[in-house]
Amino acid sequence: MTVLIVGGAYQGKAAFAKKQYPELPLVCNLHQKVRETLETGGDPQALLPELLGKAVTCDEIGCGVVPIEPFEERWREETGRLCCALAARADAVYRVWACIPQKIK
Amino acid sequence: MLILVTGGAASGKSVHAERLLCEAAPRGERLYVAAMQPFGEAAQRRIARHRELRKGKGFETAERYTGLAQFIPPRRFEGILLECLSNLLANEMFSPDGAGEAAAGAVMDGVSALEAHCGTLVAVTNEIFLDGVAYPEETARYIRALAEVNRALAGRADAVYESVCGILCQIKG
Repeated sequence: MTVLIVGGAYQGKAAFAKKQYPELPLVCNLHQKVRETLETGGDPQALLPELLGKAVTCDEIGCGVVPIEPFEERWREETGRLCCALAARADAVYRVWACIPQKIK
Repeated sequence: MLILVTGGAASGKSVHAERLLCEAAPRGERLYVAAMQPFGEAAQRRIARHRELRKGKGFETAERYTGLAQFIPPRRFEGILLECLSNLLANEMFSPDGAGEAAAGAVMDGVSALEAHCGTLVAVTNEIFLDGVAYPEETARYIRALAEVNRALAGRADAVYESVCGILCQIKG
């Protein structure tokens, strides 16, 4: 079982994951993992296989003004694409706003 | 018929917008109006990606960066896909040949003009409103103007969708 939980920062995504899917290993802040991978020259899209079978939380960092700095822009793009790929494989996708989960898949 | 598709960066907006247009224009008389100027490596990468997505789907392509209201398509189309309002607005606001202060109005007039040349217009816009950053006045003006365009078009659109991680969520219609 693979679950993706997205939303803004500090909205209760991890707490929801622990409550709803206590049996699943939890990966928090996928956007930070994407950033670390880019910083060390890796391909963030290659993270996909290791995320399967887990509950994954990720901030929706793509909903702001396009950054001028190319690295920052790439970070948003790579995070968005990885979330699209993971959502396609996930059994459930939620968006959490102020601790209110909305199941979108 | 007007359909508005929004979403954050790399959220799968284009794929859904194309599919919605193909469904609304099944006979295949489809025009793609591209508003993104091919400046910089990131823009070129994105344009190449969009071209790849459209390949073999029977789209004619027109590039129009400003003055959309004055653009006359070669003929009437079953469906037109406009991608995207955020680029069009930036061009109108910041290009020397843009509408400047009147940018938001120029974008909305452009959308109305396109609608008159097709059965269904699918317009792609962008979610740029959620990062909570205090931007310089020039950027803040752009954010306000895009919000104004989105509010006005969402108000009269037949359907509005948001793409979230590639999942299409209908928010109106």
